[in-house]
Amino acid sequence: MKRQATGILVLLALALAPFPALADEDGAAIVNKAFEYMRGDTSKSVVEMTIQRPDFTRTMVIKGWTKGKSDALFFIESPPKDAGNGTLKKGRDMWTYNPKVNRTIKLPPSMMSQAWMGSDFSNDDLSKTDSLVEDFDHTVTAEKEVDGMKVYELTSIPHEGAAVVWGKLELTIREDGVLLREAFFDEDGLLVKEMTNSDVAELGGRLFPKVWTMKKAGETDRFTRLTYQELAFDVKLPPNLFSLSSLKTKRR
Amino acid sequence: MFAQLAWRNIWRNPRRTAIILLAIFMGVFSMIFFAAFSRGMANGMVNNAIDNLVGHIKIQHPDYRSDPDISHRIDDPRSVMDEIRPELPDGSKIVQRIRVEGVAANARETAGIEITGIEPSKEKGVSFIGDAPIEGEMLEEDDEHGILLGAALADRFDTEVGKKLVLTTQRADGETQSRAFRIRGLYHAEIQATEKAYVFITLDAARKLVGNKNCATEIAVTLPENKADRALEQTVSKCKEALKPFNLSVYDWMEQIPAMKAYLAMFDMFLYIWFVVVFIAMGFGIVNTVLMAVFERMREFGLLKAIGMKPAWIIRMVLGESLFLLIAGCAAGTLCSLAFTWYVAVTGIDLGSFAQGVKMWGMSRMIYPAIDIGDVIAANAVVIVLGLIVSVYPAVKAARFTPVETMRQN
Repeated sequence: MKRQATGILVLLALALAPFPALADEDGAAIVNKAFEYMRGDTSKSVVEMTIQRPDFTRTMVIKGWTKGKSDALFFIESPPKDAGNGTLKKGRDMWTYNPKVNRTIKLPPSMMSQAWMGSDFSNDDLSKTDSLVEDFDHTVTAEKEVDGMKVYELTSIPHEGAAVVWGKLELTIREDGVLLREAFFDEDGLLVKEMTNSDVAELGGRLFPKVWTMKKAGETDRFTRLTYQELAFDVKLPPNLFSLSSLKTKRR
Repeated sequence: MFAQLAWRNIWRNPRRTAIILLAIFMGVFSMIFFAAFSRGMANGMVNNAIDNLVGHIKIQHPDYRSDPDISHRIDDPRSVMDEIRPELPDGSKIVQRIRVEGVAANARETAGIEITGIEPSKEKGVSFIGDAPIEGEMLEEDDEHGILLGAALADRFDTEVGKKLVLTTQRADGETQSRAFRIRGLYHAEIQATEKAYVFITLDAARKLVGNKNCATEIAVTLPENKADRALEQTVSKCKEALKPFNLSVYDWMEQIPAMKAYLAMFDMFLYIWFVVVFIAMGFGIVNTVLMAVFERMREFGLLKAIGMKPAWIIRMVLGESLFLLIAGCAAGTLCSLAFTWYVAVTGIDLGSFAQGVKMWGMSRMIYPAIDIGDVIAANAVVIVLGLIVSVYPAVKAARFTPVETMRQN
């Protein structure tokens, strides 16, 4: 009887103890895993980007390569008007290439917070991808079961002194590493923008969300949607792909 | 005899005399006071400009002005300061700063700003930030993560003391560098544009941000107030001499803000144009009054002529009347305006109610009128000389009356 009571108490304690029951490392490990899962060692993709605005909708197709945590190269494929525009990212620096003027431009700090190709993604969103892993403490705040899969909800607080503008992030990550939601909050804890990923399907040999939607808080008819058309992971990439010369020569 | 005649003639119609005296008085008064007011305004603007991180003398890399980039820095500011210190007059203050273009960002806003690394305690009496009213706290000397923000910029960022701001700029080696800072205080400046333009961090923090341990981008010298005008040229040339071995440029404030110098020259022009405009208004009054005085006294002039007064004498007499009027009016106007200006200069004129507009133009809220003796002389000279010239017309008119003509009139 006494033993049973103790057992119940332990269960109760477990049930009531909110989140610290899961260790901090857990959070970091989950994010690391998700980051690696979503990017792979290398990847090659074709994405359709739709920019939705109250008075127009613009669609472009982007071809991209990524390597490791921080290198990436993108080219716009269509519409023809924009075709050939490229973006190269190495470390935290970014360059853009415009075929019309045949010049590469290193994005100055002043342009980093501007929209990338007129979308709801900022240059910073692209350039600081690895910041998520390096600049934040991740804590698991909830664990749910959706369609037979565990889904973690994490709150990420930036390290003191980290060059991060956000007050906190909220991440929703599936146990296999699929990132479902990333929400950005300011220092007052108010939502600034939110990215939701949906339509998880087999893509590039793994389950991957096909549709990514980035939306500013409080907007209904303005958002940017990425739809993956092709995706391959761990492809063999030519050496020196992530260089200014390949940005210029539009190497495929 | 003419003087006596003229003097008596003036007071034969005291009301008319009083009116024209009042007109001259008002004109001269407004000229002198306006001149003093605008001089005060110009002084305020110059002081504001010098306070605005300009300083009387500035030492920079020769290319910094055309391209304010960290690559155009002073590598060893300490030895440069040691070199020029003995050349400066007693009481001069000398500071080093790092100023680079950068971007400040929080979760909702970004803005291009100038990142200014200062030694907080040394800026007192040198630039506005040393004496600016601050909400929150001033930066501590060794604060590596603190930042001071203009109140207007904080408004735009919708942020407050204690919150975070990320600064991004280019490092000395060309890489992009970001660091997070905590807002320690919000400063208020005379001009809103200033509050929006500058954020302040400590010199050490700025050196870390640009990735160079010893550098500065400028050394600024503030001369003691009483020597600011006289010692400037001499000190600049001495500094230039002392800094020959360094590849650096030395500028005085007029070279740093040439627009201000040009503006001051334009200001003088405006003043003299204003003098002439006031005079034209006044001149019509003078002509009119004197003409009236002349026509009223046609019989008298006819009589004078009949008893043998020469036309030239009549002209002298009428001009004498004008001269008395002008001198009396000028004297009264000058004295009153000087007294009034001095009285106002003690307290200053508060343009608080127009603060918004005034700030936009880079002016001070408080204006202390400053009398320039040249302006006083010019105003008086303009009124008396031109006043006499316009009086020639009625005088000639008076001289042309013939006795027969005048008698026929009545």
